[in-house]
Amino acid sequence: MEIGKIITIGDISVEIILSSNDIKIGDILEVKGNDRYVFEVVEINNISATCISLYSTRGIQKGSVVVKKSDGLEIEYSDKILGRVFNSYGEVIDGLPFESEKKVKVSNDTVTLKDVKVETEPLWTGIKVIDFFAPLQKGFKMGLLGGAGVGKTVLIKELIHNIYEGSNSNAVFVGAGERSREGKELYEDMKKSNLLDKMTMVFGQMGDNPVSRSKSVETGLRMAEYLRDEKGQDVLIFIDNIYRFIQARAEISTDLKELLIENGYPSNMSGQISSIEERINSTDEGSITSFQAIYIPADDLTDDAVQTVMSYMDGQIVLDRKVAELGLYPAIDVFRSTSKLVDVEKIGERHFNLVERVLAYLTRYEELEEIIAVLGIEELSEEDKNVFHRSRKLRNYFSQPMFVAEAYTNIKGEFVDIKDVLDDVENILNGKYDDVDESKFRYIGKYNG
Amino acid sequence: MELSKIEEKVESIKNNDNIYSVGKVIKVNPYTVIVSGLNDITYYEEVNVADKAKGFVFGVGKNNVTISLVEVNEKINPGDEVYSLKKQFKCLFSMDSMGKVIDIFGNDLIAGKKFDNLVEVPIENDPIPIMDRGLVNREFLTGITGIDMLYPIGRGQRQLIIGDKKTGKTQIALDAIVNQKDKNMVCLYVALGKTKKEVKDIYYELTKRGAASYTIVIASFHDELPNRTYLTPYVALSIAESMMLDSYDVLVVIDDLKKHADIYRQISLASKKTPGRDAYPSDIFYAHSKLLEKGCQHKNGGSITILPIVETKSSDITDYISTNIISICDGQLVLSSKSFAKGEKPALNYGLSVSRLGGSVQSEDMKRVGSLVRNKLLEYLEVRDIYELANIDEMGPDLQQRLKEGKVILDKLKQYKFSPKSKEEMLELYKFLEVGDTDGNR
Repeated sequence: MEIGKIITIGDISVEIILSSNDIKIGDILEVKGNDRYVFEVVEINNISATCISLYSTRGIQKGSVVVKKSDGLEIEYSDKILGRVFNSYGEVIDGLPFESEKKVKVSNDTVTLKDVKVETEPLWTGIKVIDFFAPLQKGFKMGLLGGAGVGKTVLIKELIHNIYEGSNSNAVFVGAGERSREGKELYEDMKKSNLLDKMTMVFGQMGDNPVSRSKSVETGLRMAEYLRDEKGQDVLIFIDNIYRFIQARAEISTDLKELLIENGYPSNMSGQISSIEERINSTDEGSITSFQAIYIPADDLTDDAVQTVMSYMDGQIVLDRKVAELGLYPAIDVFRSTSKLVDVEKIGERHFNLVERVLAYLTRYEELEEIIAVLGIEELSEEDKNVFHRSRKLRNYFSQPMFVAEAYTNIKGEFVDIKDVLDDVENILNGKYDDVDESKFRYIGKYNG
Repeated sequence: MELSKIEEKVESIKNNDNIYSVGKVIKVNPYTVIVSGLNDITYYEEVNVADKAKGFVFGVGKNNVTISLVEVNEKINPGDEVYSLKKQFKCLFSMDSMGKVIDIFGNDLIAGKKFDNLVEVPIENDPIPIMDRGLVNREFLTGITGIDMLYPIGRGQRQLIIGDKKTGKTQIALDAIVNQKDKNMVCLYVALGKTKKEVKDIYYELTKRGAASYTIVIASFHDELPNRTYLTPYVALSIAESMMLDSYDVLVVIDDLKKHADIYRQISLASKKTPGRDAYPSDIFYAHSKLLEKGCQHKNGGSITILPIVETKSSDITDYISTNIISICDGQLVLSSKSFAKGEKPALNYGLSVSRLGGSVQSEDMKRVGSLVRNKLLEYLEVRDIYELANIDEMGPDLQQRLKEGKVILDKLKQYKFSPKSKEEMLELYKFLEVGDTDGNR
C-alpha cells in the first residue's frame, strides 16, 4: 500500500510526504520495487513522517514512492534460533537453510516491578580474580569496563567458556558495534568447541550503520526473553558492547537534528538505556544473567553514557591499562572491581575478611612503590618488606592462564575452585610462601607448592 | 570533463521537457553549493556545476540540494546551472598506477597527466559480511624483530601505529612495505595531509629500495578541497577490496587518520552538524570503523592488511580519536619519544603495544620463542624500574640473572631502518634463551 513520497534524504534518515494515514511509529516501509531501501518510522506529523534507514541511503531518488512492508521488525521466536546467527533485523546470515516456525516483534515492554525477581544463588566463574573480588549471583548484571585494547573481549570469551560449560542453559551473544573479525572468530570457536548449538548469536558490527548497531541489542534481548519466558531457563546474555548502543543512538539523534547534551549524547539517553536494561531482568519464569562490556571513550570513566549504564549494574569488573602494561592478564583493577555480593552476610566472614586484607596489603604496596622509588627497597622496615613481597606475589597470583587465550600465551587455561583461591590467598598473606620466588605465582591456576 | 556527455544529457532533458534535472546555484560556500531544483536527484549522484566544478549530492532537502565539491576549476556564481549526470558519484583508477603517485581521480601526479585506461571505483561498498570472512592466521612479516616476534601482524589484521611526531611511525610502515618484496603483496600507501616534499621523499625512498614495482602511493594534500582528502582513504580501500576479491593480498598504509578525523570535523562543522566530544561529529567513530572494517582475510583467499597511523601529542594515547581507533584495530604498536631519543630504535613501547591476534598468526617456532621473549622482557621492564636504586650485589641470584638477561633481550631488539631480518635471523638472536650462550646469559 502506498504511503507517500520521499522528499528529504540524509545519511541515516529520510522524510516522507504522506498520502495515507495508515501509518504508525515502528512501521517498516520500503521504496516501491526496491527492497534495498527499507525504513523504520520514528516520527509522524500531519503531513510527513521521519524514518531511519536500515541500510545505506546512497542511490535513493527524491520523489520515490514508499510502500508499507510490515508492522515492525520481527525475529524468530522458537528453538530454531539455537545454533544460528542473525543480523540486527532478525535475518539469518550464516548461509544455511532456515525455516521459520513462529515470529514475534523485536520490540517488547520492560519487566514490571511486580514481576521482577531477585535471585540469591551464587554463580562461580572459575576465574580467580573475579570470584575473589567480584563474585556473581544468578541474575546479576556485570559491567565489564575497560579502555581500548586491554583484553575485554578475551575475558568475555573466557566467561562464556567457563560458565557455559557448567550449566545446561542456553546463551545469547550480541555483537553490537564491535569487530566483525572477532564475531567470526567467536562463531568458529563456538562451533569448534561444540557450544554453538546451545547458543544464538546476533551481530550488528562496527562496519554497519548506526540503526543496525543499535537494533542488534533489542533483537538479542528478544531471544533471551524467549529462553527465559518460554523455556524457563537461567539465561546468560553477553552484550559486547552496550556503549555502542548509545553511541549509535547518538549518531541517529544527530542525523535527526535533535538537540544534544554534552559530548553529543541524546537528551533522552537515560530513557533509552532504561528501555534496554529493564528488559534484562529475572522473573518467576527464569533468570537472565548478563555480562555487558562497556567501552570507555577517551579513557574517561566520568562519561555520562558510561555512568548511566553503570547505575544498572550489580557489580563491575574494571580492566586497567596499567595492569595490562605489567603483562598481567586478566588485567583487572582489583580496587575498582567489586559486586553487591561482597558483603559479610553474603559471602561469609572468611572470604570477606580476606578481600579486606588483600586490599589493605595492595594499598600499602602502592604507597611503598613510591617510597622505594626514592629510597630503595633496603630502607623498608621488616614488616613493610613482607607487605611488599607478599603483595607482589598476590598480584602475580591473580593473573591466570585462560582457555581462550591459549593461542596467545601458549599456556593451557585453568578453572580454579574458589576454595583453593581462598586457601592460597590466606597462605600468601600469612607468609607460608615467603621463600618462594614471586615469578612462581605468575600464570598458574591454584598453587601446587 | 566529458563535455559531450553533458550536452547529450541536456539535449535529452530538453527533449523530455523535464525542467527539473537542471538546477540553479542559490548559495556558494567554500566547498559546498546549495542548489534549487533537481527534484528527481538521487543521494550521492554526480553533478556538474556549469562546467566549472564537479561534485556529488550530499544532502537532499525539501526545497534544495546540497552539493559537496570535489573539483573546482573556475569560480562558481549564484545562478549557475547544475546538471545531474544520472549516475552515482564514483572515482577513477588505472591498473597502470603501480609504481606511481596518484590521486583518486585517475591522475598520475608525478607525470602531471591523467591515465588512459581508467575504470570507475565506488567510493564505498557495503560492509563485508561476517560470514564472508575467514580467520586471520597467515603471517605478515615486517622484518622488524620487535614486531614480528613480539607483536606479530597477520594478513587481514588492522594494526595501528601510534606515537608522537618524530618517533618513526612512517618509517615502520615503509620498512613493512619494503619487506614485502617477492611476497606477492600489493601495497597501497595512502598519504593524507602530508606535505608534497614528504610524499616525494617517500616515493623516492620506495623506488630506491625496489618497492615501487608493487606499490601505489595515493596522495591528497591540504591545499586541495577537504572532500577529496576525506574521500581518499575510502576510495583506496575500495581499490584494495576489488583486488582482494580477485584473491590478491593487499597492504594498505593510511598516514595518518588523525588528520583525516580533523578534515572530517572541518567538513561536518561547515555543514552545521551538531558537534560532540572535542567538537568531532558524533559519527566520527563510524567514519573510521566502516573504513577499517574493510581490513579482513576473505574466505576466497585474498586479504587486506591495514596499518593506520595516528599522531599523538605528548605521548597521550588516551585522547578521543586515538582510543576510538585503538578500539577498532586488532592491536597497536605504540612508539615512545623517550626511547627514540635514547636511540632505542624502533622506538616501540613494549609495555603498551598489543597484538590481539598474537601467536595465532605466527609459525610454531616464532610463537614459542616470541612468547618467551615477550614475557621475560615485560617482567624485566617492570623489575628494572622498581629496582633501579637497589644495590645489585644484595639481590638474590635469581633477580640478578633476570636483570642481566633482560638487558640483553632489550639490546637485541635494536634495529635500524631498512635493515630487515628474516625469521631465521630473529630466532638465532634469541637462541640463547633456550640453549644458553657462552656469556652465561642463561
